[in-house]
Amino acid sequence: MHIAEGFLPVTHAVGWTLAAAPFVVHGARQVVVEVRERPENTLLLGAAGAFTFVLSAVKLPSFTGSSSHPTGTGAGAVLFRPPVMALLGTIVLLFQALLLAHGGLTTLGANAFAMAVVGPWAGYGAYRLTRRLGGGLLPGVFAAMAVADLATYVTTAGQLALALPDAETGVAGALVKFLSVFALTQVPLAVGEGLLGVLLFRVLTVNARPELERLGLLRPEPEEVP
Amino acid sequence: MTGLAVDDAAWASAWRRRSPADKLLLCGGLVVCALALPAWPGSVLVGVTAVVLALGPARVPARTFGRAVRWPLAFIAVGALTSVVTVGTGGLGWAPDAVARAGSLTGHALAGSAAVLLLATTTPMSDLLPALRGLRVPAAVVEVAAVTYRLLFVLLASLHTIREAQTVRMGYSTWRRSYRSSGALAAAVLTRSWDRARRMQEGLAGRGMETGLRVLPEVLPSSRAFLAASAAGLAAIVAVGVAAA
Repeated sequence: MHIAEGFLPVTHAVGWTLAAAPFVVHGARQVVVEVRERPENTLLLGAAGAFTFVLSAVKLPSFTGSSSHPTGTGAGAVLFRPPVMALLGTIVLLFQALLLAHGGLTTLGANAFAMAVVGPWAGYGAYRLTRRLGGGLLPGVFAAMAVADLATYVTTAGQLALALPDAETGVAGALVKFLSVFALTQVPLAVGEGLLGVLLFRVLTVNARPELERLGLLRPEPEEVP
Repeated sequence: MTGLAVDDAAWASAWRRRSPADKLLLCGGLVVCALALPAWPGSVLVGVTAVVLALGPARVPARTFGRAVRWPLAFIAVGALTSVVTVGTGGLGWAPDAVARAGSLTGHALAGSAAVLLLATTTPMSDLLPALRGLRVPAAVVEVAAVTYRLLFVLLASLHTIREAQTVRMGYSTWRRSYRSSGALAAAVLTRSWDRARRMQEGLAGRGMETGLRVLPEVLPSSRAFLAASAAGLAAIVAVGVAAA
């Protein structure tokens, strides 16, 4: 759910861009340091960005009968950490605006704040909390992907409510309206994305265990003594 | 064919050889006009100008332009409708200025979307990314974006191939199988992206990559006539929009 071009007033578009900027700049600095120290990681980071974009092309069957597309920011936050996702998410949003006409340029800041900042941080927080409470990798991934999706949707509804307050009940009434309307698609999507995350990581733990160990998501298996 | 209709249109556009800076100036100006001018007549003028330029001189296929507009149109319709429904003590109702408010919101959003689409359907991302360096975006970030752009088509092709194979094996015949197939599909695409990045890195390391992925940028010269016409057109839209306000 991306806010379309021209949907936000100028002041809101500028305000959300300024709100997202510190997080995106922080992510960019981390990427610059990473690439300076290990130039070969440019390709891995590019692959991570491309995967996040392509994940949004995976169709998920929805409980409401239609199909929807995951945002992928929860998985990205678990795999690559939220600061990097702030930058990669913004790059992906720019590509979605210019290659798929999803979102826009003046609304890029608002969409980046919701999908590349709030979503990944909330998802990563849910992942860490689940792991700290004794949950395994898969429950943690479910929590990360579902919460990242819900946080993105609630933030976007809040942005729309602030920009378009209800004529009688103001921002609070508008928030209830936008949350209710988009809940029809976004709540099933959040659950669906959590399930997709579990299935994705279940395959990865078998087929890509060394990569997950390198990323710190799994402990290395003890070597068998002959 | 890359698999993304907007990108295909950009590579085939009659404006492909025009300077990206020239097109950024025109489309950026139209986006600002769509946002800042009153919906009537400002947004209408911007929308009509963007569509006429895209389908006329830029020779973007009408079908591609129309299909691309469908996505933002769905969001705009739902968002505009929601914004003019009021929630009060007496239940749901229409806002006093519902028609004007919905019209204004739809006008701004459709005009802005058309202006962005004019840029998207005439300028490939590989032309726009070097322009980010002019906006002082670090070279490392532009490189990561460039690798993302190049890899996403490879991954999209993998995604379509794997999904087709899963479909013919009844992988999407039930709700449960659909989820299982989608999870396996995402995992296969992710591991392929890692594998491809690793092989590219090994190939480049063998060629002595030490200072990043430097490539010769394609020089597309600016056109004074295009810039003058853009400035005159934007000035006319602003003049009409402000005069009618």
